Amino acid sequence: MTLTGAQVEVPADPRALYELSLIEQWGDGAPVLPPTDAAIEALLAYTPDPADHVVGVLPPQYGVATVELVAANAAMAGVQPEAFPLVLAALEAILVPEWNAFGLTTTTSSVFPMLIVNGPCRDDLGIDYRAGCMGGAAGRGSMTIGRAVSLCLRNIGGQRAGETSRTVFGQPARFGMCFGEWEERSPWPSLAQRRGFPTDLDVVTVHGGKGTFPLADIHNDDPRGLLFLLAKSMAYPLANMYLGNADNGEVVLAVNPMWAERFGAAFPEMTDLQAYLHEHAWQPLDLWPAANRDILVAKGRVGRRNRVFLTAHPNQIVPVVCGGLGSLHAVALPSFGESAMQGVAARTLTSGAR
Amino acid sequence: MSTVMIRRPTAPPVAEVAAPTFRLDRPLTDLRAGIRTDAAWRSWRLLASDWEQRLRADGVASVTTVETHGQVGDTGAADRSHIGALAEAVDFAIVGLGTCGSCTSFAIADAVAIEQRERPVVAVVTDEFATHGRNMAKHLGHGNLSVLVLPYPLEARPDAELLEISAAYYPQALALLGVSRSAEVGA
Repeated sequence: MTLTGAQVEVPADPRALYELSLIEQWGDGAPVLPPTDAAIEALLAYTPDPADHVVGVLPPQYGVATVELVAANAAMAGVQPEAFPLVLAALEAILVPEWNAFGLTTTTSSVFPMLIVNGPCRDDLGIDYRAGCMGGAAGRGSMTIGRAVSLCLRNIGGQRAGETSRTVFGQPARFGMCFGEWEERSPWPSLAQRRGFPTDLDVVTVHGGKGTFPLADIHNDDPRGLLFLLAKSMAYPLANMYLGNADNGEVVLAVNPMWAERFGAAFPEMTDLQAYLHEHAWQPLDLWPAANRDILVAKGRVGRRNRVFLTAHPNQIVPVVCGGLGSLHAVALPSFGESAMQGVAARTLTSGAR
Repeated sequence: MSTVMIRRPTAPPVAEVAAPTFRLDRPLTDLRAGIRTDAAWRSWRLLASDWEQRLRADGVASVTTVETHGQVGDTGAADRSHIGALAEAVDFAIVGLGTCGSCTSFAIADAVAIEQRERPVVAVVTDEFATHGRNMAKHLGHGNLSVLVLPYPLEARPDAELLEISAAYYPQALALLGVSRSAEVGA
């Protein structure tokens, strides 16, 4: 295996490497592991793609992402070799034009790739899907895969807040966000299945998420009543989805397994659940001040009885089952709007994809 | 101190390419003008409307406007298609507005699409996004794209103030397009 990336001699001392990474702007401010040839080659051994294969050209600075360069960043993040195909899959998903990396890497918004993993690999790779799955569970896969993608956007795509990225606030997920779906506790087909993938594949779905929007209730035991409140909460008046087209973008609704069980009894079919959420995810036009009202009217966003729906279609509300068994909470991952969720199955040496 | 060899994790900078730019080098008389607006920005729609009137008063044969509404999906595809049609139908174009991150990216990309069809074009951005706009033009291989920088912010200014800005910057837009006031120059 021949690696071709530029070599740099660095101190073997981890602290000195960390300091150097800050000076060279190789990292995200946290310590990094050295991308040695041994570390890179270990990662490359788990993908059928050759080192010089071009995954794509990453905006905003259009750096060429070869598999080797992606592996160097994955090595810095501490990605387990077996998990490397998921990093590549995530980048492939990001590079689908309809995900709109061109816009999302440069926007003033906080939006960033949020990775949702389905498939048999979740436990073996440490993809968090139970308690603390969006932060705190500390699974190796969740922490390193998301970070590797983030480092690729930074080091290959040249995305840097305040420079090439115009993000005003950023968000914690910019360090990397990757969680799994608790498929075994879901009453519905998994997200990947709903998007057409067989259950035996490991699939990364990338959502352009603006943040984690927490929702809670301890009073309502009725599934329809609770879903009504979730729908209304997702349709908050300053959501990005109200800025542009109702047709573009998805809002992910992360539902804990206890609520999922309750919702599944009322809505055995996912499409019925989505239809119910969509039916109530709206606000009355009068809620907005005149200036906003005028724009919403001009954009044709006002529906029957002066209702302004969050999305044009029910399938733009995307429930995913994950989280702890403590119930009481859900999390919405609001959309940037001008971005369509993409999923890609990981190609491993044993998947026969090549 | 012991050392270890690592591979640099950064992509080499993309080679700077400055595609040809085009100038009118003639008066506006009888030319076909194009203006790209963005449904997101009330301020730019007002300026563009004012500039459309000024262009007509200065003798252009026609002004075709395209208002963009999206970045992806059917709307985004329609926008890009309309920009392509605009480029084919006009002799020069004014493209705005870059006053957020992604809208600057798309305004620059649309201006580049017009320049690729060998039309004089000026991209309009606000000061806060000027560096980003120029960077995007450079990364898209059009480092010499003409960029007109307006004050920032434009939003939240009263119409009267916006129209003052419009009047002040219209001549600069024409200058960047290479419009000459003398009929001889374009002969």
